[in-house]
Amino acid sequence: MWFVQINRKYLKLFDWYMLALLLAISIIGVMTIYSATRPIITTVQPNYYIKQIVWIIVGLAALLAAAVYDYNWLRKSGYILYIAGLVMLVIVLYAGKRGMGAQRWLELGPVSFQPSELFRILLIVGVSKYLSTIDGLLTRRTFLISLLVFGLIPFVLILKQPHLGTSLVLLSTFFFLAIAKKIEKKLMITLIIVAIAVPPVAGNLIWKHLKDYQKKRIVAFIEPEADPRGIGYQVEQSKITIGSGQVFGRGYLKGTQGPLRFLPEKHTDFIYCIFAEEWGFVGSAVIIALYLLLFLRGISTALRSKDEFGRYLALGLTFMLFQYFFINMGMVLGMMPVVGVPIPFMSYGGTTLITNYIAIGILINIRMRRLAICY
Amino acid sequence: MNRRFIFIYGLIFVGFFVLLARLFDIMVLKHDKFVKKSENQRMAEVDVQVRRGIILDRLGRRLAVNLENNSVYLDKTNYNESDKRLQEVSDIIGVSFNELLTQVRGKKNFVWLKRKIPIEETDKLQEMRLSGIGLMAEPKRHYSLGYMAAHVLGFVNIDNKGLEGVEAVYDKELVDLGGKYFVERDARGNMFYNTNENERTGNTLTLTLDQGLQYIVEKELDDAMEKWRASAATAIMMDPYTGEILALSNRPTFDPNFPGKYGPASRRNRAITDFYEPGSTFKIVTAAGVLEENLVKPDDRIDCLGGAIEVGGKRIKDAHPHGVLTFMEVIQKSSNVGTIKLAQRLGKQRLHGYIKKFGFGERTGIDLPGEIPGRLRNPERWSGVSIGAIPIGQEVAATPLQVLTAYSIVANGGYKVSPSVVKEITDTDGKAHPISKKYDGTEQVISKKTIDILKNAFTMVTQEGGTATFARVEGNLVAGKTGTAQIFDRAQGRYSHTDFISSFVGFVPVDKPVFSMIVVVWKPRGAIYGGIVAAPVFKNIATKALTYLNVPKEEKLKNTTLVVENASTGKKPHN
Repeated sequence: MWFVQINRKYLKLFDWYMLALLLAISIIGVMTIYSATRPIITTVQPNYYIKQIVWIIVGLAALLAAAVYDYNWLRKSGYILYIAGLVMLVIVLYAGKRGMGAQRWLELGPVSFQPSELFRILLIVGVSKYLSTIDGLLTRRTFLISLLVFGLIPFVLILKQPHLGTSLVLLSTFFFLAIAKKIEKKLMITLIIVAIAVPPVAGNLIWKHLKDYQKKRIVAFIEPEADPRGIGYQVEQSKITIGSGQVFGRGYLKGTQGPLRFLPEKHTDFIYCIFAEEWGFVGSAVIIALYLLLFLRGISTALRSKDEFGRYLALGLTFMLFQYFFINMGMVLGMMPVVGVPIPFMSYGGTTLITNYIAIGILINIRMRRLAICY
Repeated sequence: MNRRFIFIYGLIFVGFFVLLARLFDIMVLKHDKFVKKSENQRMAEVDVQVRRGIILDRLGRRLAVNLENNSVYLDKTNYNESDKRLQEVSDIIGVSFNELLTQVRGKKNFVWLKRKIPIEETDKLQEMRLSGIGLMAEPKRHYSLGYMAAHVLGFVNIDNKGLEGVEAVYDKELVDLGGKYFVERDARGNMFYNTNENERTGNTLTLTLDQGLQYIVEKELDDAMEKWRASAATAIMMDPYTGEILALSNRPTFDPNFPGKYGPASRRNRAITDFYEPGSTFKIVTAAGVLEENLVKPDDRIDCLGGAIEVGGKRIKDAHPHGVLTFMEVIQKSSNVGTIKLAQRLGKQRLHGYIKKFGFGERTGIDLPGEIPGRLRNPERWSGVSIGAIPIGQEVAATPLQVLTAYSIVANGGYKVSPSVVKEITDTDGKAHPISKKYDGTEQVISKKTIDILKNAFTMVTQEGGTATFARVEGNLVAGKTGTAQIFDRAQGRYSHTDFISSFVGFVPVDKPVFSMIVVVWKPRGAIYGGIVAAPVFKNIATKALTYLNVPKEEKLKNTTLVVENASTGKKPHN
């Protein structure tokens, strides 16, 4: 009986606002996928949009599952989950399925998924638990331990797949949480100095280890119009697609860049361009506002969480989503290199979508239980 | 709220501000550049697709229309069929399996596999429910009358471009509205036509032909071909005042719906592309000449020397010997000797002048392709025999249309005639632009006085004692002239004794003709004379045509006939 009671109480506290924002963005995503994959020669509409709807339904189930049970269990089993995540990353390196020049996929019976996606959450859970167990500031010792365990090890494992975008996102999420926890002043100054000094050295080192296509992306970013038919083509087409949306857009299902196949990755990483082309600056600003509201909600959830763990968890998840959004936008707007990062909730793709839904589910969970005393 | 959260909020707001600024930059400030790039890469300039205008007869009955026919295309992006199924497709549309496979493995995403297939094949393909092989409707030219008027209409190729007849001459008017438009293309260069939006219908062509008259002519030519086992035949019917062609038919002929099934001989428009020695029909020139120059009066007697005359060392004979004949009888009985004696009064230069006046040696300028000018030498190059041969229609060559045009001058009272087959062009706004010339009676070629005498003489031809009694029509007087020409056998270097070209050219009713007509039959078997072979064809066509046109029968006919009979002394019709 207590189960029902709890449910009824939390139903009142359930974060409908967050769910509404999520669904609004997701539905816009499905509509845009439909438009982006419109056929021109034939009349057969590819079923990408239906698949995406299915993922959304599965994602909603996962979201509810992540929201219903007190996130306390995540704290309790935080390290175990994190270690399990690391093991998955190792397995994928040896037993993973290759796809598009990278080894990212793990097959479990009929389903295949990308462990690095789920790992994003597990890492944040792990870091949050570690940070919440430390009293006061991060010292040099605790910082270095956490940097090694939660920063460098997953960074290297995911870089090896190779998946540069995700590995950088995770590393910066770690730094973000570490700074949020507060670092000793002396250490902080050292870190800032290192942060200024390291990039040229590390950049050189990383450059040597980058795959050819990754190097090309960076070159293309710096000079997109030098090679319009090569790798710079993607950046150029992305800007053309967005730019031709003008102020009010070409109208829904009137965009041409996607169906005419000028814009590669039209329904995955570059879905935002298709939306911008059809809805113009006005629509683009509206959808950006939706994202902004969603992130602000995430941070306010962190502010209101009942405990330290919940705070870091909420901050970490929000920041991770923000990064994906920001990097993707930077990429499609030609402000960052093409790193292959999808825009949360809109891009076509099952694993990413479900993972992001779980992240939102956890955020809702944290907000729901902000009034810890009540039970 | 502590400072860390203020920092985080700040971070997020700055991030969003940067994104919004960039979006504003690309979408609001610099959009022109990107819109232009987008257009440049996806728009391809192509000619406006125009559905061919339709072709009507003079009363608006449809002769050439467009039907929707399905064409089979391959869309490789959706192609997913087994070789076995592809083999089935190959069997249905009759394109070899290897050819299909080449297309399937080829580079292009969109290719036609077969254009404009019959409806049975369409049904079979649709039943197969193929992926990546589809059907698309394309307009196909359809000639509703089959082989009728084939040589006037002409035909089009698979891309609906006119190749023969008015389809070729008026191709621009039927199709080209002089426009280009833009179609979308994808990144791989496939173009996407939107047939609904960018298709327009071309101008409508109204011909001078009358479907009913055409039908009569076609039918009678078929009968004549069978009856005389001829190698070829031509009949042209014309309004002698305006030059408008009312009907034109050739044998052999073809079905313009399937032009590829017929040889070039069937597709040739003999009425204007073949010349022949016109024979006695050419006597019109000499007769008109001597009358115009006052070198003879209708009742003047001419000694026909018992049927033979020597010219330039060569004996030219009459088919039937005559003694002394009047001028009128020379024409009526078609005496060669009499005509040559008249021509000698006229002389080379003046004879040549009258030949030109009647339009021989020059194209008539009809709006059909392939017309030839015939053959006429300048007097300086005439031999001694020429003054004997040319007046009776040898050593000269003309097209059937030229001969008909010459007689139409007599029919209309002496005015110049310019033949045409297109009456008017109606543009897409419904405005009609006339093409055929109106009869304005300005350019008098032959005087009224001469014409009256010639009309009488040509009327006598079809009366008792004339060569073409078989051309007579009940109720109306027919004027005309027979012709029987030998065919010059190049292999043997002399005229053939077995192959002839029989013709009759004339007009009816004589006072105010509703049409002039020529019938030419190549190599008839069983008889050779124009009066026997061609005249009955003229009669049959004319009888039906006059009924069709509701031309009243003349009551005074009997009296007029008497006058003619008085002058007649001959027995048999002959050349």
